[in-house]
Amino acid sequence: MPLIEVNNLVKDYKLNVRKKGLLGSIHSLLVPEYKMKRAVDNISFSINKGEMVGFIGPNGAGKSTTVKMLTGILVPTSGQISIGGLSPHRDRRKNAMRLGVVFGQRTQLWWDLPAIDTFELLRYIYKIPEKIYRQNMNLFNDLLEINEFMSQPVRQLSLGQRMRADIAAALLHNPEIIFFDEPTIGLDVIAKEKVREFIRYINREKGTTMLFTTHDMQDIEKTCRRMIIIDEGTTIYDGTVEHIKESYGTSRTLVADFPEVIHSIDIPGVEVIEEKGRKKWLRFQKDEVQVSNLIYELTQKYGIIDLTVQEPEIEGIIREIYQGGIKIDESLCRVC
Amino acid sequence: MGKKPLFNIFELFVLLLKYAKLSLKSILEYKFDRTFITIAIVCREMISVVVMFLILVRFVHIKGWEYNEMFFLYSFLFLSYSIFVLFFAGMRDFAEMIYSGEFDRVLTRPLGLMYQIIASKIDLSAGLGHGIVGVILFTKTAFSVGIDWNIKNIVYYIVILISGAVIQASIFLFASCFSFWTVKTDNLRNMIFFNARRFSGYPISFYPGIIQKLLMFVIPFAFVNYFPAQFYLNKAEINSFWNGFLYLSPAVGAIMFVLVYMFWRQGVRHYSSTGTSR
Repeated sequence: MPLIEVNNLVKDYKLNVRKKGLLGSIHSLLVPEYKMKRAVDNISFSINKGEMVGFIGPNGAGKSTTVKMLTGILVPTSGQISIGGLSPHRDRRKNAMRLGVVFGQRTQLWWDLPAIDTFELLRYIYKIPEKIYRQNMNLFNDLLEINEFMSQPVRQLSLGQRMRADIAAALLHNPEIIFFDEPTIGLDVIAKEKVREFIRYINREKGTTMLFTTHDMQDIEKTCRRMIIIDEGTTIYDGTVEHIKESYGTSRTLVADFPEVIHSIDIPGVEVIEEKGRKKWLRFQKDEVQVSNLIYELTQKYGIIDLTVQEPEIEGIIREIYQGGIKIDESLCRVC
Repeated sequence: MGKKPLFNIFELFVLLLKYAKLSLKSILEYKFDRTFITIAIVCREMISVVVMFLILVRFVHIKGWEYNEMFFLYSFLFLSYSIFVLFFAGMRDFAEMIYSGEFDRVLTRPLGLMYQIIASKIDLSAGLGHGIVGVILFTKTAFSVGIDWNIKNIVYYIVILISGAVIQASIFLFASCFSFWTVKTDNLRNMIFFNARRFSGYPISFYPGIIQKLLMFVIPFAFVNYFPAQFYLNKAEINSFWNGFLYLSPAVGAIMFVLVYMFWRQGVRHYSSTGTSR
């Protein structure tokens, strides 16, 4: 049985329509006008124990609303959520015992105090046995090196340090499920890598179920096998990262440096998408044009100094999906 | 349903102390600043006391009240306010929790919401500031106005101070509740609360009927200081009020808290169905 089951989840917001100007605001205070907005529109999915799932989608797609419903902050308008048999809002406190939540944009650490103080408090909030607390503190120090800044007030920490401490704090009570809301936002490359590595390790060693929301496709590629893409409140894709790459990443780009400036290249199936001096970026479909033939032809006609072939990055594919360039096939949606 | 609670009373109490420890540590991070705030509050309040004193010493008494009795009445305001901000500052500043998004975090914890709100904040500076003024007034007056401080009187005194604190906390929480509907009410609240409090600096018998009624039934400050003080002073004018009012402060506190708590629950329900502003 899946650990998290979401069925036909819907969330409507009642928005207060405000009018412009002073008269307008008085008017809307006296005669409030409301507009319904459907933030989440009939989403269903299930997640098994130990899975790592990436939640992606453009801003305002309904990701955060979904996570807020899963964590018990918001009550669904309709539909069911079951987390190991509990309803996140009806059994809020019991459910909270098993959850860890990391909000990348907000810290749960006491701002003016060293992080260790918050950890000590969490120990009592989640009734963490002494032994587990010690074990986890040692583990987090080994992997995240938190001891080096544990005794500084949180307000003095760098964003990377704070994020590490925040993640450790959310994991202190060995939660069965962790929600990460943009855990790598604003971090530098090294800090990001550290966080991802840690997340992978915890998933592997403790079998913790994890859900991410992020805008960083690297986060997804490097940690999750499965991703759920949400747009305008509905699921438009639920499957593996590889699968989407295979199905939609069929174009290749050949970057060629020619000995002299060439004005036009006329090879069927090949499109010049960018040029800079003598360098040209040529796009083609891998199943229409054979790369070896293309290189041969170019060498024959113009001569080539240097060349590279680029695979499309997942980021590019996702961008196209958001912009409506790629319509996801219905059949793809339930592949896993 | 016979559900076993996640925490027993003892655990909740220990946890409350842990929260208090962190609050105090946070305050100590800014020792200098906080000390100054305390001093500033003491000065501000003492000035009003001194001004009142200078006016009152010119009279032997006003409407049968001599100035020691007036200051005894006044001391209730300070001491109960001090208890209020020491123990219920979270209820006072609750609106901030909504605006900052901190309330979302509260909802993801395995603890009761009101428990977390009360536990998460202590305003030591204001508590001390008002407390110092209150203690000065109390010690200067309590033994010269003819009160027999026996056990019964001492116990009721403590109960009455706590009741006063709960009444004031309820007023503040009531105002904070509007932030669930993203309506800012801070200024309205301050206007109502602090003006009512200023009226309460004098016996309500000084005022016309409408203001008396207001202070008894709308913003019930009369139960924070006038009736409690009369319980001890027993001045003749009390006959113009129902005698039972002398004992009613704890009930008023309890009822107000329950009503405001119910309103607050409504707010929480609204919040989790809208997530406010967005």
